[in-house]
Amino acid sequence: MTVYHSLQELQDLAEDRGVAVWEIVQQADMDASERTAQQSYDKMLEMYRAMKEADAKYDGSLLSASKKAGGDGEKLHQYNVSGRNLCGDFVGKVMEKAIKMGESNACMRRIVAAPTAGSCGVLPAVLLSYEEDHDAGEEQMVQALYVAAGIGKVIAENASIAGAAGGCQAEIGSASAMAAGALAFLQGADAQAVMHAAALSLKNMLGLVCDPVAGLVEVPCIKRNSYGAVNALVSAQLALAGIQSAIAPDDVIDSMRRIGNQLPCELKETGKGGLATSESAEHYLK
Amino acid sequence: MDLFDVVGPIMVGPSSSHTAGAVRMGYVAGCLLGEPVRKAEILLYGSFYATGEGHGTRKAIVAGLLGMKPDDYQIAESLTLADQRGIEITFGVARLEEAHPNTAIIRLWGVGDKSIEVQASSLGGSRINVDKIDGIDTNFTGECPTLIVHNLDQPGHVSEVTSMLAHESVNIATMQLYRSARGQKAVMVVECDQEIPQEALTWLNQVEGILKVTYFAGIS
Repeated sequence: MTVYHSLQELQDLAEDRGVAVWEIVQQADMDASERTAQQSYDKMLEMYRAMKEADAKYDGSLLSASKKAGGDGEKLHQYNVSGRNLCGDFVGKVMEKAIKMGESNACMRRIVAAPTAGSCGVLPAVLLSYEEDHDAGEEQMVQALYVAAGIGKVIAENASIAGAAGGCQAEIGSASAMAAGALAFLQGADAQAVMHAAALSLKNMLGLVCDPVAGLVEVPCIKRNSYGAVNALVSAQLALAGIQSAIAPDDVIDSMRRIGNQLPCELKETGKGGLATSESAEHYLK
Repeated sequence: MDLFDVVGPIMVGPSSSHTAGAVRMGYVAGCLLGEPVRKAEILLYGSFYATGEGHGTRKAIVAGLLGMKPDDYQIAESLTLADQRGIEITFGVARLEEAHPNTAIIRLWGVGDKSIEVQASSLGGSRINVDKIDGIDTNFTGECPTLIVHNLDQPGHVSEVTSMLAHESVNIATMQLYRSARGQKAVMVVECDQEIPQEALTWLNQVEGILKVTYFAGIS
């Protein structure tokens, strides 16, 4: 029976058995769900292909229910191809895909919650861009998705992946940690560096509150997907350079849980504080 | 927690709790009715009532009633589709106290003579909990095969159900018993690890003292 309850346990299992992190995550899924290796793999592949399809089907002419969100992904695309791309091709593409997915979600399009709908842009933005720009195979991308899912599962079980429980750090923060670990894996990091990429990423998102305007998954959620994705790039780069989180990865997750508990409920998806109660927010739906 | 609740589900946005969870609530309520819906009265509470419009919560619940899953593109068109099928739908506010902020009461009347009232809440992610059926407390998620038996509060009915399940090699994950009052109506909710064959359900339905057998194979 393969079971892990912390990032340290996940790392130890991979090291002790001399296998990759994603193999431990897959084995644990098989043991918990009675899925065969093929069934589990196929389901993860289905998630990856659904992300790809959602990205391809982005429609910049759509508007959300509030009629205020939509079209920013297209703006970013136009800027990225204008030849004046400030951040470079890869980072520009990651930002663009993240915003597009966030907008697709707000416009009632089909997306993959990863870990939530509000944070659905982070993981596909970095993975799809990586596959396109680094000539990686689909199999490798599915393996990276397992790494991300394993990290997300540990966060969900030891802290939270719900904005209502832990604030935005639990949604975009978790997504960013998952994406950072997946990217580090894709670039050949060992198990320890994968965990530190996730930890560095989450650490930088600690304290982020959930204060959506009018309670909608639009402001600030859509754009924050872009920041979460770039945060994952920075964290993976740091970890790949051999830089470690001074705070142990599991302690970062535990800190996120404690911070989430200490946040007032006004800042946990109730729309009763922060940006949601600003003067501009009162005009948002008008 | 299932790995594919972390990466997944594939769903129509914008909110896993207010949209995907709401579809699941409608879907489970529709399954519990056990026949096509003729009329639905949907009462929303708390955050569902306050922010449901922008999240498509109403469309999502109706989509579930029509048998759609959270990844169905037609969720946004569900009200029109229901209208085309001649289903009468009304919305209102649920007056509850101390309920989960994302709660709905779904009253359904079928094309035959069946009717049901389901109270459910959306817990975050797209996970839901069925809190009440016909006013009797329940507590199940709909994630695994679930058997709901309405029976008279008499000795022996639990044993009939569990013997049937044992005979079919179905393992019980959780089991809950509720009753309105001693000797009155009782409800048994059994969450299982395997699916229950149709003929076993048909048999159970004919047992004396068993009033109603509802089963659904699980959401995912």
